[in-house]
Amino acid sequence: MADGPPILEMRGIRKAFPGVVALDGVDLTLEAGAVHMLLGENGAGKSTLMKILSGAYTKDAGEIRVNGRAAEIRSPRDALALGIRVIYQELNLVPQLSVAENIFLGEAPVRWGGVVDWPLLYERTSRLLTDLGMPLDPRAIVSRLGLAQRQMVEIAKALSGSAVDEAAAGGAAAVLVMDEPTSSLTSREVTQLFALIQRLAARGVAIVYITHRLDEVFRIGHRITVMRDGRVVATRPIQDVTIPELVRMMANRDLADHFPKVAVERGAELLRVENVGGGPLSGITFSLHAGEVLGIAGLLGAGRTELARVVAGADRCQEGRLVVQGREVRFRDPEDAIAHGIGLLPEDRKAQGLVPGLTVARNIALPHGRRLARFGVLSRQCETAMANPIAADLRVKATPTQPVRLLSGGNQQKVVLGKWLAGDVRIFIFDEPTRGVDVGAKVEIYNLMNRLTARGAGIIMISSELPELLGMSDRILVMHRGRLHAEIAAADATEERVLSAALGLAPSTSSGQAHSTGSGQAH
Amino acid sequence: MIVPARQFGTLIGLLALCAILWILTPHFMTVSNLLNVAEQTSINAIVAVGMTFVILSGGIDLSVGSIVALSGVVLGTSLQAGHSLAVAIPLSLTVGLLCGFANGALVSWGGLPPFIVTLGTMSIARGAALLFTEGRPVSGFDPSFRVLATGRFGFIPAPVIETTVVYAAAHFVLARTTFGRYVYAIGGNEEATRLSGVSVRFHKTMIYGVSGLMSAIAAVILTARLNSAQPIAGMMYELDAIAATVIGGTSLMGGDGTLAGTLVGALIMGVLRNGLNLLGVSSFLQQIVIGAVIVVAVLIDTVLKRKNRT
Repeated sequence: MADGPPILEMRGIRKAFPGVVALDGVDLTLEAGAVHMLLGENGAGKSTLMKILSGAYTKDAGEIRVNGRAAEIRSPRDALALGIRVIYQELNLVPQLSVAENIFLGEAPVRWGGVVDWPLLYERTSRLLTDLGMPLDPRAIVSRLGLAQRQMVEIAKALSGSAVDEAAAGGAAAVLVMDEPTSSLTSREVTQLFALIQRLAARGVAIVYITHRLDEVFRIGHRITVMRDGRVVATRPIQDVTIPELVRMMANRDLADHFPKVAVERGAELLRVENVGGGPLSGITFSLHAGEVLGIAGLLGAGRTELARVVAGADRCQEGRLVVQGREVRFRDPEDAIAHGIGLLPEDRKAQGLVPGLTVARNIALPHGRRLARFGVLSRQCETAMANPIAADLRVKATPTQPVRLLSGGNQQKVVLGKWLAGDVRIFIFDEPTRGVDVGAKVEIYNLMNRLTARGAGIIMISSELPELLGMSDRILVMHRGRLHAEIAAADATEERVLSAALGLAPSTSSGQAHSTGSGQAH
Repeated sequence: MIVPARQFGTLIGLLALCAILWILTPHFMTVSNLLNVAEQTSINAIVAVGMTFVILSGGIDLSVGSIVALSGVVLGTSLQAGHSLAVAIPLSLTVGLLCGFANGALVSWGGLPPFIVTLGTMSIARGAALLFTEGRPVSGFDPSFRVLATGRFGFIPAPVIETTVVYAAAHFVLARTTFGRYVYAIGGNEEATRLSGVSVRFHKTMIYGVSGLMSAIAAVILTARLNSAQPIAGMMYELDAIAATVIGGTSLMGGDGTLAGTLVGALIMGVLRNGLNLLGVSSFLQQIVIGAVIVVAVLIDTVLKRKNRT
């Protein structure tokens, strides 16, 4: 590792989105040749920080210095010129083309004014691959490669000739950001990838590695930064931290106690899920009672949304059974689930919750078309009579005749909620109900949940915000890799316990052992 | 709201076009010529009703022209075989409706792209029409049938009345029924509509059915007007209908548009053709002008929309 200024420094980075401060004065220092692990629960600000580094977002405040000199990153192009490369979870390769074509996409060597110089292309590619120690055939078609190999192609592309060497010659950084690169790899592939990362580090590349897997931190990390709520909790050399310490740092102890939770006596069983599986899910069993808020925790990709969609009839239930109020049901589509009193607030309200061009009232009335019509002719009076009071009750800040596309996130979310308030829905599935919603609207959504449970409804709430889960749930189920990993009663729940379970650690080890084999051995 | 403002823009375009033609040629602004334009436009206007339903729902229907031909030859053959109007017309409408349902079922249950499905139907229906008639037109019908195209109520040609009735009915369906609401909802966000418990597959099938039915209605008027049912009728009708729909401000992305806009769009096409004929512009040049008008109209619309969004 060289002395002198660090290869890249971010200082006091701040970024706000409407209603949320995503980053609040974040510092991050990257050294050449070091693998810097970036940890934090969902929404801690890791991705936002990396998007600022890659030029996808522009920062509101703060400074970035490259090799000691101030640098402005206003666009992805700027970031590339500075030698910063980001490899996202979803790979950006053209599957029909060969390894060589992908690596040099848009930069293939040409002769005679436009004809690809294939021999030179393959030669350069194999030189690069040998140099990086990647056992890949330059002529292989990407769609036939495994995921780990595709990831290698992506890395090779990021580090291909013109990119890094020129940047380095021009005094820029060689920084490689990897966002959860192992999330879909087998353990053998992970080993290959780690070997590659170590070789890159040895050559002086600074690597930022975002992960949720604690075992990886200790396998390849040199330094570690933990983020929480848009701030850096700590940056330490790896030898100075232990797993329990990491979990404690990631968890939020000063619980925001602004949750207006009203406990309601638990009533009869509304829904029973028995051994539900298929797709990423397996063997999921739980029940939901009237008057209860059942929180579901888990990391991204743990299968929470898939579970919600199966229960709401959006996807077919492949294995196991669903029992609604004592009767077994089979849902072919959401229509069937709604007929059984199940309403879904989907995770992505723009893509799944709303018809952007329709008005507030018409969106709210959408699930109730049949009831509002006689012989197929909609009654406008009935529609307004149904939708307007709901919009008013939810304090949607818009007139009922405004298209929902013009509304803010919080108001849009209220409209999606409003869709289920008119009918006979008793089982509510809220998938990330407060994502991208301002604080005022959040509290209103929590109050609405209280009113619903008081009326005898049951709510399944999926959330990535631990304080919200702890604050509003009566019980919390924790999912890990498609399974229920733990069930924690509200009284016993702490952020550390939930987070440990979500990370795949046994719930009891959350504060006990200094050292854990963790999730690495789970597959 | 943005939608009426945009339609208004298209309407201004139509009026401006009329004004220009009024200045350029004395023959344009006469009652008989304007009625002629309305009559000429009726076929495309009716086909464009179905196209508007389909495009509003986020789809496309390339098979309308071929369905016009197939429904037409079924009607003609049936009349020639001595069946009464009360048999022949419903039969022909049923053929159109079934073709539409087949399109819709393949799109919704088959999960195929509308472009491909209706491209296939375009060829299949055309082939069926040719096969059915062995490639020959079926000509010569009773005046009681021809009156559907040649008749007049007072001084208004029958096709104008028929088009008005079709538009009134279709507008009612689109604006006032659950089905119409779902057309917009499916085009605006199909997944959200499905998750709201709407049977998207069923309604999509119906939407293509409407398009097939409209093609068959157009076929009845066309056959009556020409006094002949031709298996090669309706060539390129899909392009005229798409043009009328998009000139009328309906978004090809679905979810946004009105039938009033489509009617104005169809009239713009009709007035333009008529005017260019009156001016003696060669039919080769006419194609270039019409193509340019389509592109410019949609360009203006897109620019206006962009301004409205920000």
